[in-house]
Amino acid sequence: MAAAISIQGLTKKYVGLQRDEVVAVNNLNLDVQEGEIFGFLGRNGAGKTTTIKMLLGLVFPTAGDATLLGKPMGDSSVKQELAYLPEETYFYDSMSGWDILDFYGRLFKIPEPERSRRVKICLEKVRLQPEAWKRNIRGYSKGMRQRVGIAQALINDPKLLFLDEPTSGLDPIAHSELREIVASLKDEGKTVFLSSHQLADVELICSRVAIIHRGKLLTTGTIKDLTAGGRIEIVAEGTQLVNGTLAKLQAIIPDTHEEANHIVRLITEDNNRISAAIDAIRAASGNIISIVPIKKSLEDVFVETVRKEEGL
Amino acid sequence: MIALAIAQQTVREALRRRVMWIFLICGLFLISLGPVFGFLSPRDSQTVLRSLGLAAILLAGLFITIVTCIYLIPVEIERRTIYTVLSKPVQRYQFVLGKFLGGFATVFVNIALMGIVFLFMIWIQEHKVPTEMFQGVIMTFFQMMLLAALTIFFSTFATPVVNFFLSFGIFLVGNLSTVTESLTTNRNGVVRIVGNVVHYLLPNFGNFNIQNSIIHPTTEIANQNVYVAQNVIYAVVYSAVLLILAILIFDRREV
Repeated sequence: MAAAISIQGLTKKYVGLQRDEVVAVNNLNLDVQEGEIFGFLGRNGAGKTTTIKMLLGLVFPTAGDATLLGKPMGDSSVKQELAYLPEETYFYDSMSGWDILDFYGRLFKIPEPERSRRVKICLEKVRLQPEAWKRNIRGYSKGMRQRVGIAQALINDPKLLFLDEPTSGLDPIAHSELREIVASLKDEGKTVFLSSHQLADVELICSRVAIIHRGKLLTTGTIKDLTAGGRIEIVAEGTQLVNGTLAKLQAIIPDTHEEANHIVRLITEDNNRISAAIDAIRAASGNIISIVPIKKSLEDVFVETVRKEEGL
Repeated sequence: MIALAIAQQTVREALRRRVMWIFLICGLFLISLGPVFGFLSPRDSQTVLRSLGLAAILLAGLFITIVTCIYLIPVEIERRTIYTVLSKPVQRYQFVLGKFLGGFATVFVNIALMGIVFLFMIWIQEHKVPTEMFQGVIMTFFQMMLLAALTIFFSTFATPVVNFFLSFGIFLVGNLSTVTESLTTNRNGVVRIVGNVVHYLLPNFGNFNIQNSIIHPTTEIANQNVYVAQNVIYAVVYSAVLLILAILIFDRREV
């Protein structure tokens, strides 16, 4: 599969008023494959938006290069295939949702009546109520504005979308609906570069993620790989377990706890201790209820990775 | 087509600015007062109507041009609407051109409106519309076009407040062309250099003020039509140069 985005050594440095240098993005190397939803994660000020803005030609890199859909970053022809939803979606207040999409359609030189057809399709796709289509956008709620924001990003039927926090600050219903819309883009074969703090959303819809911190790429990989491994939880039951064998089990797996109804719960990261623990449970006539690998959440991975980098 | 789409949207946004309507209403009000002041001074009623009308169009046009154009680009950056526009297949020159054309069209509509009312007042009073009056309105329009280009140029790198003082200041200095011209022959070398820079580098807004010759027909201009045409060409060329500079600066600006 070809790379939709290929970033090599992308760097952005800002020089402050007192000639102090701030590195917003530091030697970033990253590949995003065509047709995937790629999560770009990081704390506030990590360099996510700066990276997107460099890729879109809104700010200029200090060093490095990138290609989008096989064309050099900054090539104006590639913008025909791109879409961008900024973090805070602002629109011209004099316009309705329909007018805004029509305006952006004109920037793509989409002729009428095709333009009106696409505007209608996009507004339907983001589930904006038809009675609001021609209403001034000043009367729109945040959720409605965000729907228009996503609709404007779809007006040119793009191959590659940059979405910066598309679901932040929305009510649960709007949040869930917009997440579904973003997820559905993958089924249409589109590539989505999703910058978000909503790690639960990212875990649900992204195939791969990258974690960036202070402009530096810390890790990248599939959600499965990043959240895999970790710990194994054994739950067992038996009267002898809690009466005589508990200390023995704790010697094998220190994280062993007694619970109600003669239940014992053991959690370990060391696979070599599992067999010994099972033997000890059986020797005490205990029943093993479950042996389950405990997956890390993406949030756990994110927090661990960032804290490790910060030396915490 | 892209620049036109941006221009149309710019007109739409500009027409929402209440302050522009206030200046337009003030301008129309002053023009409509012309006949009243004329009655108070029957001997000079024609001169009063003409000078007041042209001055009202100039003043209202000046403020409308500045308040319309100084915000066109900074507001797009401040409100981040520029992100979605420039992430589309829009070249930066198309954006600057679209903004200028939108501002220019807004100023045109305003001056045309005031001009029509002014010429109508003259027709009521004099039962004819002299060509010179029409030319006076045209000259004000091209003067404002040049000012719009200057304001757009500054808005590519200056804040609206700085832009206001720069544009307004240069407009004032540019209107004092007789003074700046006299500086070019000053005995003091430094004054002479400064005079030359100011007189030849800054736009010469003073040449567009043909009110004096219109109102006082004794002032001689060899050929009025040639004079108007020369100034129109001057405004178009100078505006084009300013827009090219604006595009060059904006092309390198991070948003």
